[in-house]
Amino acid sequence: MNRLAVVAFSLMACVVHAADTPVTPALDAPIQPYAPGIESPDYIWNDVKGEELMALRANGDPEQGKVAYIVCQGCHGPDAPGDEAGFYPRLSGQRASVLIKQLADVRAGRRDNPKMYPFANEHVITPQDMADIAMYLHGLPMPERHGEGPGSNLALGAKLYKADCDNCHGANGEGDEKKFYPRLEGQHYRYLLRQTIDIRDGVRRNANPDMVSAIKDYSTADVEAVIDYISHMKPKGG
Amino acid sequence: MTETCAACHTQTGNSIAPPFPKLAGMAPDHLAKQLRDFASGARKSEIMYPIASKLKRNEIDPLARFFSAQKRTPGVVTDPALASAGETLYLQGNQEKGVPACAGCHGPNGSGISRFPMLASQNAEYVVQQLQNFRSGARSNDFGLLMRTVTSRLTDDEIQAVAQYVAAMPVVEFGR
Repeated sequence: MNRLAVVAFSLMACVVHAADTPVTPALDAPIQPYAPGIESPDYIWNDVKGEELMALRANGDPEQGKVAYIVCQGCHGPDAPGDEAGFYPRLSGQRASVLIKQLADVRAGRRDNPKMYPFANEHVITPQDMADIAMYLHGLPMPERHGEGPGSNLALGAKLYKADCDNCHGANGEGDEKKFYPRLEGQHYRYLLRQTIDIRDGVRRNANPDMVSAIKDYSTADVEAVIDYISHMKPKGG
Repeated sequence: MTETCAACHTQTGNSIAPPFPKLAGMAPDHLAKQLRDFASGARKSEIMYPIASKLKRNEIDPLARFFSAQKRTPGVVTDPALASAGETLYLQGNQEKGVPACAGCHGPNGSGISRFPMLASQNAEYVVQQLQNFRSGARSNDFGLLMRTVTSRLTDDEIQAVAQYVAAMPVVEFGR
């Protein structure tokens, strides 16, 4: 067959092939499984086992994590700044244990996030990747700018924070690596607001029940005030 | 062997026929994987199967290196207005629908990495065809079902737009 014939044949085959392509999506996109959460009577919020335990015990390598993070940065962005609109949280500077736990909870189906799941499941991220990514993200500097609240009721926010939050999350929202308490300083206002309301209302199923009790009587205005206060903390990181 | 490839992809791996991909400049690992997938049937193609399945094991890597080393030619944009719409999707994704920015894996300049192919200056018609094939499941050799997931969240218009943008991206060197 001469070259021209190959081209002609190939073009023909291509047209035929294109016409054969089904129009309706036939994809079985990875669907997030379900695992019992706060709605379940025997739920233990920090029961660490399986791949989460493996990832927590693994020696995370930030260099490897930078590579493994590539599949995350389409949404979370290069250097993980998140976005002020609150769709995606800032991950840079977050506690490594928190990152591993939250990722494990999404993978297990204890934290509902069907959009994220296909990008975070075991076919994409291994338990070692989880450890590597967590160390990489924890070590990233926290940018000075992040989404802040209106600053309209900081006095009430400060009062509520001291009464109900700083015992676990720390005076400057620094969190606690050993206890899986997230760092709050530097996080976007809108993201924190959405998560806190979800936790109060039982929508975030991997929540710490102690936190749910702490804020169960908060009005939405109370939540807004305390998150506003948190969003005005000056991130120290580390 | 490159003669056979050149019939469709040209001597320098810069296919002129819009349905065929440019190979020039792509990561050698990526090209080699595609050839192996064509040969095994993991990536289905009536055109590439008979060719790739006849390749000897030791022919694949040299071919991949040859086309990887070629200089890519600029892409052809047929609808500049669409390309500009595609730029937003490529660089920012779509938060409402959970579409990641293409730039996350393929690089802001479309250079790609070994696991994710170079896109800059690729033939738009080929890109449309591949995105549709991922969406329908006709192409299923993507890493971790990532492209099948992404394309399941794309409309036909978005596929056309992003393909035009990809074609409009300036030629880049592989890697970062």
